[in-house]
Amino acid sequence: MSSPSNTVVTLPEKVRRGEVFEIRALVRHEMETGFRHTEQGVRVSRDIIREFTCTYNGEEVFRAMLHPGISANPLFIFYCRAVKSGDLEFRWMGDNNYQTILKHSIVVL
Amino acid sequence: MAPWPAVWARPDDAAQAISKIVGSRPVQYGRIHIELAPLVENGNSVTAKFSAQSPMTAADYVRAMFVISEGNPLAEVVSFHFSPLSGRAQVTTRIRLAESQRIWVIAEMSDGSLWRAHADTVVTLSACTEMI
Repeated sequence: MSSPSNTVVTLPEKVRRGEVFEIRALVRHEMETGFRHTEQGVRVSRDIIREFTCTYNGEEVFRAMLHPGISANPLFIFYCRAVKSGDLEFRWMGDNNYQTILKHSIVVL
Repeated sequence: MAPWPAVWARPDDAAQAISKIVGSRPVQYGRIHIELAPLVENGNSVTAKFSAQSPMTAADYVRAMFVISEGNPLAEVVSFHFSPLSGRAQVTTRIRLAESQRIWVIAEMSDGSLWRAHADTVVTLSACTEMI
């Protein structure tokens, strides 16, 4: 499970230096809480994304630590300050060695 | 319906989760804004917006925001960690609400000061524990 096709990240292609721009990051994931039971009373084990990070030219912009209280298909809309052109990297990590990485370049005018 | 798990959070658990974050440091009311509908039809996916007032400069920024639930199986819902590069301490996400309850947000600033706010919501269809 590491195909970036599971993810949708929306951000502007070009921004002005100093501008604070919005990033929307969505990943397809069940976020099985670990609190549910089958009809036979067997607990369904937890399978969630635990951590989402966004880095900008290697520096951390934003990080979320997730618990089962985050809905299926986790969405985060957050912000970033444009410093210089470069790469934004988005990484989702979770139970059962889940990891997805997506890279996005950005042009700062 | 399946019986409630023994770990079901109560206001006590939320208080415990908060004290784990703040320790013995003082917490002030304010600087945080929570946007959460007062009435929610489906607790499986509730859009919520959390923000804290801050210039978000290297000298003065919001280090983290912690979202705590009084009525979910687990008090901790999510935490957000910012840097001066964040530009704005604001996050929109979708959370699960197991029942009508109060949601707390604790913010920790770069100067170490702590702030809190809460929002109450009524949930008509709960999340988390249904059978599959």
